[in-house]
Amino acid sequence: MRKKTLWLSLALLISSMALIAAGCGGSDDNASGTTTGAGGTEAAKQVITVNWGTEPPSLDPGLATDVTSSNILLNIMDPLVKLDKDLKPQPSAAESFETSADGKTVTFVLKDGLKWTNGDPVTANDFEYSWKRTISPELGADYAYQFYGIVGAQEYNSCDPKKDQCAALADKVGVKAVDDKTLEVKLTNPQPWFTQQVAHHSFLAVNKKAVDQFGEKWTEAANIVTNGPFKLAKWEHNSAIDIVKNPDWRDAASVKLTRVNGRLIADGLTAVQAFEAGEIDVLQGGLPTDEMSRLKELPTYQQYPGLGTYYEGFNVKNVPDVKQRRAMSLAINRRSIIDNIAQADQLPATGFTPKGMPGFDVINPNSPWMPEEGDIEQAKQLMSEVANPVKDLTFYVNDSPGHREIAVAIQSAWKQELGISTTIKQQEFQQYLEFLGPPPNKDVDVYRLGWIGDFVDAINFLDLWTCKSGNNNTNYCNPKYDEVIEKAKLTEDNDARYKLYAEAEDIMFGENGDMPTIPIYFYTYTALERENVKDSYETNLLDQVDLTKVVVTE
Amino acid sequence: MLKFIVRRVFWTIPVLLVVIFLTFMMMRQIEGSPFRHSERAVPPAVLQNLERKFNLDKPWYLQYAYYVKGVFTLDLGPSLVLRGQDVNDIVKTHFPKSIELGLYAFLFAIFVGVPLGVAAALRHNTAVDYSAMFFSNVFHAVPSFLIATLMIYFIALKAGALPTSGWTTWQHKIMPSIALGFGPMALFARLVRGTMLETLQQDYVRTARAKGLRYRRVVGLHVLRNSLIPVITAAGPLLGYIITGSFVIELIFNIPGIGGYYVTAVSARDYSVVMGLTVLLSGLVIIANLVVDILYGLLDPRTRDARI
Repeated sequence: MRKKTLWLSLALLISSMALIAAGCGGSDDNASGTTTGAGGTEAAKQVITVNWGTEPPSLDPGLATDVTSSNILLNIMDPLVKLDKDLKPQPSAAESFETSADGKTVTFVLKDGLKWTNGDPVTANDFEYSWKRTISPELGADYAYQFYGIVGAQEYNSCDPKKDQCAALADKVGVKAVDDKTLEVKLTNPQPWFTQQVAHHSFLAVNKKAVDQFGEKWTEAANIVTNGPFKLAKWEHNSAIDIVKNPDWRDAASVKLTRVNGRLIADGLTAVQAFEAGEIDVLQGGLPTDEMSRLKELPTYQQYPGLGTYYEGFNVKNVPDVKQRRAMSLAINRRSIIDNIAQADQLPATGFTPKGMPGFDVINPNSPWMPEEGDIEQAKQLMSEVANPVKDLTFYVNDSPGHREIAVAIQSAWKQELGISTTIKQQEFQQYLEFLGPPPNKDVDVYRLGWIGDFVDAINFLDLWTCKSGNNNTNYCNPKYDEVIEKAKLTEDNDARYKLYAEAEDIMFGENGDMPTIPIYFYTYTALERENVKDSYETNLLDQVDLTKVVVTE
Repeated sequence: MLKFIVRRVFWTIPVLLVVIFLTFMMMRQIEGSPFRHSERAVPPAVLQNLERKFNLDKPWYLQYAYYVKGVFTLDLGPSLVLRGQDVNDIVKTHFPKSIELGLYAFLFAIFVGVPLGVAAALRHNTAVDYSAMFFSNVFHAVPSFLIATLMIYFIALKAGALPTSGWTTWQHKIMPSIALGFGPMALFARLVRGTMLETLQQDYVRTARAKGLRYRRVVGLHVLRNSLIPVITAAGPLLGYIITGSFVIELIFNIPGIGGYYVTAVSARDYSVVMGLTVLLSGLVIIANLVVDILYGLLDPRTRDARI
């Protein structure tokens, strides 16, 4: 009797569950916005919903450091220059900019009719104030060092307000509003990339009145004063950031979107689900790796080249033989790692400077030690020539998804082809960064890291491997390399400079290269974009989107 | 009773101090800096400015003293990472959302779990009992994130009946509350069933029946009331479960509650946010346990006498 009722209840339960499932699975058609042929006519309603990703730690141009803030800021503020498709600086809030003959003075002249959203005019004084504010030791800005190329900036940033006369140092900083329209910047030496660098959000102006009145709270939606094509309409922390068109902006007529509703969904899978349910129109970045193979097949999938390099670094003191380092690079099949693990059509690395960087064709060393699919024969050959091979290595990676899998693939190649055993150790990111150094950690033999460019010049990548670089955890130090980099920094002519960069790349990865690192691939940025904005929604190499160019089609 | 409450309230102070001290020390022990967000090395001058700004250049005991002073003057300090936001702001804006979620989940657990348990006990060893217990065992074992994921897939994506994530309209609130409430619901059902079965065997129940009271009245008045004591005992610690469980649920449903902040703050080494939220949550658990003890006394005079 007892048994019978048990079976009965089980059957009841199962059938009821089946009923529920049937009810839920009934409608199979995914709600996917209204889509007609690409390049259709302009829709009447120019409103989109995007996912910004994680909550921006700050919307203060001086304090913001992440991609989300940067993306929002560059659309609600008006930078002096913007980068065009080829990453050349084009005047934006500036009417023109000019570099003096000695390359050490850059003068920006502002456009007429620039206005803050509180009605005040935007002047050169606003820029002088903002830049000095960011450099000031009191603000504690992470990106203050972006200004170190300006005369007196590093000194002012390094002063201790309790001991030194900081005000005097502030006056010596080489940023000066000559008049309301003219901003003069004095550089410590010629920096051909300075005008590109000014497109970075750290160089935006902030409104002094708003900052003085509201202090740290000036970036809240109710307080903020901006000067860009869009205005901040709503900032619900960790939930939503909405921006609306600024009708008083200097070129408002060219802006089509009237409103961009932004959600702050940090989890990749949740964001994908929101996209698939039709709740958001654009999902820029953060696509979960385990879903990539499916998402890549969707018509809404988009990808853009990125300015970043994924690499494995050696501790060259622990793996001292260059032949072994070359062999270890040769043993890696980059194509297979990209196709099977990373899965976003990243580009196999051929050097450290990523594709897309101005001058890439000249700079690219096309390293003989990094064939796309590896070269096992040559790797074995080289390894056999190593006098004292190090056959037991510790390989450190951080624990974000994907890195371990790549490390495992490399580990098995090294073991099978070269007989090198590696122990993979994982650490949580913050801990990992401190662990790696500087100074380089003795326990590390190989480590993984990436580098994403902040501005568009190869110096931003190649400066990493100089002896004194704070980002060089390899112990690699080649005076000849440093010399070339120093020379490049002083070379204003682009073509001549690119040649020097090429020389630097060659020292690391050429025929006689030192191989302090093994670059694996160049990053790509992936996105899901509803078909009615897909044509006009574009991100550049720095993962930034210019919303003034976006149009919703029918 | 009053004396008991006052004494318990005073006891919270040393408990809180220990909690602050331990969290403070543990946060300092993990490697990593709140000021390094990416692979970019932070120049020494910038680091110095930041440490000076947030008093991290002072010796640890001074930092601890500042912090304790802050807690007792109800100022939890500024976030080290979310610049321009104070921990107080974060609590004020986001904590109510977590409470709301927890409350709905709790109500779901009570209003579904208790009747389920009662039904199972009254129809002991019947199909009702078996299916109710099968149901609650399954849901007790299945983690909330799986339930959440399945709900999103079937209800939001396939059927399009509810939004996938967010916390704005009532439609947004249904799935997270249920997903979070399933575990405790199953627990309540099993607890109520167990104690009710036990209570039904008690002599006083038989006496009540024997003296001619109607079955409904016996169950409603005597049995149920006495069976609820373990439920209340469980409710205190369950609050902790609901809060920690909500961290995951908040992430999956993208609810701007306190959980998301807690998790990101730990990995970003945002000391002040971690400490502030730990203090807040420990305070909450202390209060919950206090309330449970008081309710205990009200429902069961025996425990009250023992305590006073």
